Amino acid sequence: MIFDVIRRSLQAPQRLIPAEELLGHAAGSRMPEFDPAHLTREIARAVSDVCPTAALKIVEVNGRQLLRMDYGECIGCGRCLEAGPQAVSVAKKLLRCGVRRQELVQHFDFENHAEVILEAPSPEIAKEEISRLLGRALNVRQLDAGSCNGCESEITALTNPYYDLERFGIHFVASPKHADMLLVTGPVTRNMAVAVKQTYEAMPAPKLVVAVGACGCSGGIFAVSHAVVGPVDKVIPVDGYIPGCPPTPSMLITGILQVLRKPRELAPD
Amino acid sequence: MSTASQKSQRVSPTIEVARLLEGAQPSPARLVCIFGSVDGLQRRPVVRYIVDVPGEGYRVVTEPVEGPIPSLTGITAAAAWYERELHDQFGFEIAGHPDLRRLLLHENWPGNFHPMLDSNEPLNWADEPYTFLKVDGEGVSEVAVGPVHAGVIEPGHFRFSVMGDNVLFLELRHFYTHKGTEKLFQGAPLMNGPIIAESVSGDNCFSHAVAYCQAVEQAHAALVPRRAELIRLIGLELERMMAHIADVGALSGDVAFAVPAAYCSRIKEDLLQAGSRVIGSRYWRGVAVPGGVARDINPAAAEAFHQAVTQAADEFAKMASIIIERPSVQSRFETAGVLRRQVAADLGVVGIVARASDVDLDVRRDHPYGAYQGLTFDVPTLHYGDVLARARVRIAETAVSAQLILNALEQLQPGPIRTEFRTDVAFEGFSAVESARGELLYWVRGENRRLERCYIKSPSFQNWPALPHAVAGNVIADFPLINKSFNLSYSGCDR
Repeated sequence: MIFDVIRRSLQAPQRLIPAEELLGHAAGSRMPEFDPAHLTREIARAVSDVCPTAALKIVEVNGRQLLRMDYGECIGCGRCLEAGPQAVSVAKKLLRCGVRRQELVQHFDFENHAEVILEAPSPEIAKEEISRLLGRALNVRQLDAGSCNGCESEITALTNPYYDLERFGIHFVASPKHADMLLVTGPVTRNMAVAVKQTYEAMPAPKLVVAVGACGCSGGIFAVSHAVVGPVDKVIPVDGYIPGCPPTPSMLITGILQVLRKPRELAPD
Repeated sequence: MSTASQKSQRVSPTIEVARLLEGAQPSPARLVCIFGSVDGLQRRPVVRYIVDVPGEGYRVVTEPVEGPIPSLTGITAAAAWYERELHDQFGFEIAGHPDLRRLLLHENWPGNFHPMLDSNEPLNWADEPYTFLKVDGEGVSEVAVGPVHAGVIEPGHFRFSVMGDNVLFLELRHFYTHKGTEKLFQGAPLMNGPIIAESVSGDNCFSHAVAYCQAVEQAHAALVPRRAELIRLIGLELERMMAHIADVGALSGDVAFAVPAAYCSRIKEDLLQAGSRVIGSRYWRGVAVPGGVARDINPAAAEAFHQAVTQAADEFAKMASIIIERPSVQSRFETAGVLRRQVAADLGVVGIVARASDVDLDVRRDHPYGAYQGLTFDVPTLHYGDVLARARVRIAETAVSAQLILNALEQLQPGPIRTEFRTDVAFEGFSAVESARGELLYWVRGENRRLERCYIKSPSFQNWPALPHAVAGNVIADFPLINKSFNLSYSGCDR
């Protein structure tokens, strides 16, 4: 019988998704994407009205009204797609994974039909140094700070034969003391806050922290709850943010590698 | 429901519930849940009991809170956690409860704070100690596990009292992922409910969304189109298949039989991808909405989906028999973590865990809803109550679910998928579904498109107290295996 298992594994077709088909892809995540050319004031108002988490809102910057889209708050409910189909579509690609918090935010000048870059991303030398030190072998400790288990389900999928995270030299370890990276899901609940801090403190330096999912990035729909302290960065310092509710396995891989500044090496354009 | 007539007989509703649970009928009623609410503009505090009365169905009994509430824990152990939750959330006094330690709100919360009654002001941090139950005696030691576990698992604390390798006693201390979810529903627009429900327990989010929607539809007497009911059935059964396949694979992995574990994770991923292609979302989030479904099955992808489900069921059946017939697996699964029938019944256990201990409950069959009405299908049960029985029930159920999906796909006729219904009314209602973990019930109340209260009876909240009974007497090294065979949700329980 054990030979039957081995025979099957040898005969089974290759399932592994090549790195270039994973990195930056967001199919199945339900994240929206905006086409500034077709944005109007009416659409901007309509989509911000239907957004249940205020991921989309109209803000005033230097006297100009802009549509602000925060992927860190977006739960992919799809209402903006219904409210403004001319300018909003389902994102097939999303590179905003494993980036700084501000980089999850986009601004659109809907009067002039253009995206506005409010702040140029600054290179972070410390992080480059950490990735150089860590090289390609990365030990990840996953920490649930109060998540609904949706992000865990997708993180578990990273080890299945389609995604096989270990091919990138990344694997999950059982203790924060063995970890280079803490992958934190969920809004930090009041009941978990102390454990989250202690887990972070138990990690040896250098250490990286990645906040996962709408809840980890912004508190998500739980941001207003009395039982929640806030997003992960309210409790421990965070190096990279992966949006999504939940992020798909490809977004998770993109995010983890982006924090290490790896995607360009693995999948050049 | 008939509070008026009971008042004229001067029988307290709680006493009525107690009588039902003690049961002179053919068999005693089963306690489904106990929850509090503050009704209407008068903010009238009440406690509601839902009981499953044999031959009748679900019955809701409402007791106004005018003083201490008599505890039902002495009559059925299943009431214990519900009453502790009432005490934490509402501050209701429970007379005669044997153990009113904190449950949802840990000792870092101020003791006089009851979130379902009080406003959301920033709170001081308290630091009271929590007292674990202690096992005394020579050679007894304690092993503390969690809240942070070694795998990609949700947080919770387990305190074992052991003698050598043998577990004498296990105490759970959970609710680390308590997010105040039920309070988020208060005042929320009716149509935002599914978004919150989907974030109660992420791996059975579709069951939560459907249970919520059905409760709203029941409360508004809304009729859901046939096509939407069938799409919901497909999603619910797909969720069950994925949960069972993943669990059987994980059980195999827990006894170091790694290849089948990898196979099962691959089969689950096949179904996630097939589901995503047919509906646009891997876990069917954003699909269920009050009145039907927001997304239709993509007809171009339906044929491929049919094939994917057939193939997954076939491959899993073969892999499952390889796992379950292997002597090294059997020697670990058999007699590990036995939950005796009487204990399961006393604790009101539901779902797979109940059916593997010969407690024959299934909401789909006992209280049919949606497209399950008029269907007949197998509900596999076993009476051994061990890890092997729970694995076997999961395997048998997966085949039934696959068949239900294939039949539903064949019955799909073109038609509307969503119905409009009048929402400018006061409403109150509830509905249950059989999620992959068991009976999941939503109770809603509100007015004019806004929720006043939404209560979630989660199967995990019901089943967690049974786990220590299955673990006692086993070696501590078998705990991960036994825990996995229950596979309860932490977030679903903690809410």
